[in-house]
Amino acid sequence: MNELMEHTQEINNLLSRYGVKFGIYKNNTFHEQLFPFDAVPRVITHEEYVKLEKGLIQRVDALNLFLKDIYTDKKIIKDGIVPEDFVFLSSGYLPQCEGIVPPKGIFSHISGIDLVQAKDKSWYILEDNLRVPSGASYPLIARELCRRASPKTFRNNKIVDNRNYHKLLRSTMENVNCGGISVIMTPGRYNAAYFEHSYLAERSGCVLAMCNDLFVEKNRLYYRDYKGDKQQVGAIYRRISDEYLDPLTFYSQSLIGVPGIMDAYRAGNVAIINAPGNGVADDKGIYYFVPKMIKYYLGEEPILRNAPTYLPFYEEDRKYVLEHLDKLVIKDVAEAGGYGVVFGSDLSKEQLEDMKKLVEKESRRFIAQEVIDFLDLKIMDEDGALVPRKADLRAFVLSGEATKVWPSGLTRFSRNPDSFVVNSSQGGGFKDTWVLSQ
Amino acid sequence: MRKLRFLYRTILKFDAPVRGHSFAIRCIPPTNQVQQVNIEERYVTPADCINEVTDGFGNLRYVGRINDYHTGFEYGVRGTAVVQSMQVQKEPLHGMYKYPSAFTGFAPSIRAFYESLTVPEGDALSRAVFLMHALYETMQYESGSTSIYTTAGEAFEKRKGVCQDYAHILIALCKMAGIPARYVVGMMIGEGYTHAWVEIYTGEGWYGLDPTNNLHIDDYYIKIAHGRDYADCIVDRGIFNGFTNQEQEIIVSVEEIS
Amino acid sequence: MGIISVEKADHLFWLGRYTERVFTTLRKFFHVYDNMIDTQEIERLYGEYCERLSIPNIYTADTFVQKYLFDEENPDSMRANMERAYDNAVVLRDELTSNALAYIQLSLDVLKSAEGKGAPIFKLQPVIDYLFAFWGCIDDYVENEECRNILKAGKYLERLDLYLRLEYHTKDIEKEFCKLEKRLVKSGLPVNTKKLNRLKAIIAKEEEWSSCYFEALSCLGGILEVM
Repeated sequence: MNELMEHTQEINNLLSRYGVKFGIYKNNTFHEQLFPFDAVPRVITHEEYVKLEKGLIQRVDALNLFLKDIYTDKKIIKDGIVPEDFVFLSSGYLPQCEGIVPPKGIFSHISGIDLVQAKDKSWYILEDNLRVPSGASYPLIARELCRRASPKTFRNNKIVDNRNYHKLLRSTMENVNCGGISVIMTPGRYNAAYFEHSYLAERSGCVLAMCNDLFVEKNRLYYRDYKGDKQQVGAIYRRISDEYLDPLTFYSQSLIGVPGIMDAYRAGNVAIINAPGNGVADDKGIYYFVPKMIKYYLGEEPILRNAPTYLPFYEEDRKYVLEHLDKLVIKDVAEAGGYGVVFGSDLSKEQLEDMKKLVEKESRRFIAQEVIDFLDLKIMDEDGALVPRKADLRAFVLSGEATKVWPSGLTRFSRNPDSFVVNSSQGGGFKDTWVLSQ
Repeated sequence: MRKLRFLYRTILKFDAPVRGHSFAIRCIPPTNQVQQVNIEERYVTPADCINEVTDGFGNLRYVGRINDYHTGFEYGVRGTAVVQSMQVQKEPLHGMYKYPSAFTGFAPSIRAFYESLTVPEGDALSRAVFLMHALYETMQYESGSTSIYTTAGEAFEKRKGVCQDYAHILIALCKMAGIPARYVVGMMIGEGYTHAWVEIYTGEGWYGLDPTNNLHIDDYYIKIAHGRDYADCIVDRGIFNGFTNQEQEIIVSVEEIS
Repeated sequence: MGIISVEKADHLFWLGRYTERVFTTLRKFFHVYDNMIDTQEIERLYGEYCERLSIPNIYTADTFVQKYLFDEENPDSMRANMERAYDNAVVLRDELTSNALAYIQLSLDVLKSAEGKGAPIFKLQPVIDYLFAFWGCIDDYVENEECRNILKAGKYLERLDLYLRLEYHTKDIEKEFCKLEKRLVKSGLPVNTKKLNRLKAIIAKEEEWSSCYFEALSCLGGILEVM
């Protein structure tokens, strides 16, 4: 492993050579930033992984059943398990998707489940990402480079090969393909995750399409080539968010969508990956109910735990939250990407009072969680010393013919020793994630 | 029960040619429990392809595309409707109609107005009618005072608006009172435009109220589409390639036939 | 892979043009740079060079080298042309492969980092090397023949344009014309046959073709119809 760490700089140089970057907007201008790689891997033991895998599959299966239920029968509401406020007030709920059951009933084909490990080694689910979770490409390419840097490390450790993500992705798409080619649709190179879009297209062999290359005719989606011929599209992995997807159905000013794609989708002529409207299931408010969904739909006990969460919406929880606000972390359900997260312990007395008022007034808008005592991971700092930092893990679960967990994931860490926020948009780095085979 | 003859037509003119034109049109009145519609003619021109689809709210839409350059676009529908309103259209309630939407948010001004009222006890319909009267007394109809992007709160602060605003505000008021409500677009006898009104949920089904005219929806109205608010029921949405100004003419006519 | 959209075809074509522009003008620049050592008329030397390339002469004897090679703001600088190549390449990863794309990235990185460092010819040698490697990768990794044809049509069109402007030997011009014609036909791009044939005739006349210099350039400029 020392051999691997010695080559950290070279690995980062190669990442730069291959354009492994993400884009950010600062003062309205676009910048490409390298995603710093730390060579000390996160290691998940075989035993741990077996449990994680089971738990993740269980969770994603339940979330898929929930989505199907919400857009059709709504049994879970009728049976009083999930209050309808949390469904119909969620910005992720799209009435335009009412009644649509996507090909093979799969809504979330690619789920990014964020977890953290506590000091006692137990895992907690932090949030579910069922819209367009990004990040798989980074560990995918990093592993390739790490193996070049230190073959010995990979020979001597029993590490599950993770370099099959593009194959998993492809088969997940082919599983729901309604006839035609499979495309990955990108809003363009000025998107934060453009590297990933182009890299996954290259590796999976899917066509990388821009919105102008696609059009809908007679409720079918087509890709047009430069000679004027058209080819039907059977599955589209779209890397744009729901509101921009179809200007004839959603946000009408959108220039990056495909007019009429929602009708092609409703007619069952194309699979959209992931399904529009999934936001209703990965809302921070709905998160609270996922363990209940698992029991409700699968009749099973949840294998993986949520972080202890309180919903001020319920009176009992509100009371607790108001009394313990200084020890809790407050999350605004409408925000994402590490924004809208406030630690009670960081707030001054006045700020705490203001927050209490806000929570009382807009109780549906917030959730509160106990602060988990993170298990820190070691990273190598500029001087080559190992220092502890906060980190999370995004596990990728792909729902194809069967639900499968990618035996790896994106481990992000905070470079700032005092920060809990690990998002790349806020300056974090990433690590390889090893899953041991025995 | 009345028999109405209706005509709806939109003519769009572009001063420079456009192409790659995708459109979605909602202008076909459906047959439902209160209106029996017989379509005599419907057309969209030019169009390379047209498909009839149903949206997530249950409305009929015509979607299609024009690939080549064109400088005009026209669509229309003509037919008769046998209308028997003033009755509840039985249907299970969809939860989304209980909660505020983008255009029907619970603005503080509307909330304050609602709290200033003493709504008499009674069933959903009588309370909704009370709210409609109160709104009608407070608001002033003024065409051009608001735009299609005006929310219920913005219009209410001005106490001015058109049918779209009246409908949005009444929807917000009803929801505050715990009465589910939805937005309806349709045609009305005597008007040269499309009209907007409200349907409230009585507990068993939907019932129409016209806050702009302070009236129950009677047999002189023909419904086209419904949704949470204006944005869900836009009659015509289109997107095309080209830089152009456009001129739009809409012809709506509803008359009674014996 | 497999099917190329209008947008991609456009990017491929321009990627071919911009990489070739950097490649050939950089090599030509090496000569100009050397010639500047022996002449008192530096202004005239780079002035003529600018005129041949139809780029505005915004330079002075002191600023020419740095500004022409590295200035980010100067749209005719080597760096700006490499940026344009990158802009076209970065949206083509799935067609070009990451291996080929990396050489465009590396070339751009060199141009960005060599500014003001002295001995520019030494510093920029890797750009030539990387571009050779890029074209090698294209032949080896890009499976789609249409894709290679469009890219090379762009490359040879640019090369012929530059060879005409920079007064390369007639033999070279004839050779590059043949390559271009072959690629254009194979690429399926919409060719203006009239202009192609006229250009062919001008070049075939050999000894007096230079009197038709501007006509040749204009034929070449209009050889493709707008897609």
